[in-house]
Amino acid sequence: MPRVLVIIPAYNEQETIGAVLDALHTHAPDYDVLVVDDGSRDATAAIVRARGVEVIRLPINLGIGGAMQTGYKYAWRNGYDVAVQCDADGQHPVDRIPALVERLLTGDADLVIGSRYVAQSDYTPSFYRRIGKSILSRIVDFFIGCGITDTTSGFRAINRKALDILARHYPEDYPEAEVLVILHRAGLKAIEIPVQMHARQGGASSIRWPQAVYYMAKVVLAIFIDMFRKFMRTPGEE
Amino acid sequence: MGGYEQVGIQLQHRFGILALSIMLVLLVLDLMRRGWLKERYALLWLTTAGLSLLVGLFPGLIVAAANLFHFQYLTVLFSMYFVFTLGLVMSFSIVISRLTDRNRELTQELALLAHTVERLEKNIERRA
Repeated sequence: MPRVLVIIPAYNEQETIGAVLDALHTHAPDYDVLVVDDGSRDATAAIVRARGVEVIRLPINLGIGGAMQTGYKYAWRNGYDVAVQCDADGQHPVDRIPALVERLLTGDADLVIGSRYVAQSDYTPSFYRRIGKSILSRIVDFFIGCGITDTTSGFRAINRKALDILARHYPEDYPEAEVLVILHRAGLKAIEIPVQMHARQGGASSIRWPQAVYYMAKVVLAIFIDMFRKFMRTPGEE
Repeated sequence: MGGYEQVGIQLQHRFGILALSIMLVLLVLDLMRRGWLKERYALLWLTTAGLSLLVGLFPGLIVAAANLFHFQYLTVLFSMYFVFTLGLVMSFSIVISRLTDRNRELTQELALLAHTVERLEKNIERRA
């Protein structure tokens, strides 16, 4: 039985985190769950603890990249075979996590992405967001030719090979697209399966559009530089 | 520009350069004495001040460079300071980037350790 950890990075998500954890308990009872609280100032950590779920609290807000990497480090050190990433805002269909994991365990990919665009979905991103996502996908596809349509989806599962790389090298903001490039450079393979995403259930989106332009430039630059870097797995690890 | 050879620099410019260099050296030494400036960065500043002092003591250097490039010597002087400033700012960007990385690593380790301690404490409570 492979050990699976579902990692939920959360920043001020008290409105939605409880429902996400309850859904996980119903749909994926065999998986361990870890919430990485990225320095929230609301009741996020208290809600998680009240449900008896493990929570790691970052003393300083590191952003989504730093929080997610903390979860990956925890998964790596505690010997998990699979790490799933899932948002705390209720957009990701928790009941599809077993499908991500099953697909990963067939062994022909190291990263399985739950993709919004392969299936009909009531998720409709804003205009700027759509443009941004489409540009990023094209850039990633240009560099690595992976055929992934939803490069920015944060609903994904990775195996231990990918965990080894990402626990040590993880991008800062908007990490999802860059992760594809890093894993490609490490010789690992990504595939996607269709999922239906939900509209946001609470909280506010973390990005406004002037920031989006800044992040976009940052990610594009990071991806370009990654193409000239090497990402090696830990020697002696299976 | 062109057409004529500059033979020396104005006395007040020379005094200005000397005063600036000496003040910079004294300032850096004092900051080091107070422990506000690490030797590593102090060395960058002292190199800048030292070369500036050299120009103040031997103005012929800058006049020769100005004639070589057909510039006014003041342009060469300011360019020199500008290049040093660029170098210093670049070195700060590198240092800040490294500090950011270390800060992230330490924050993550601290959170992971705090979580481990919490778990161990719970285990002990359960046994007691």
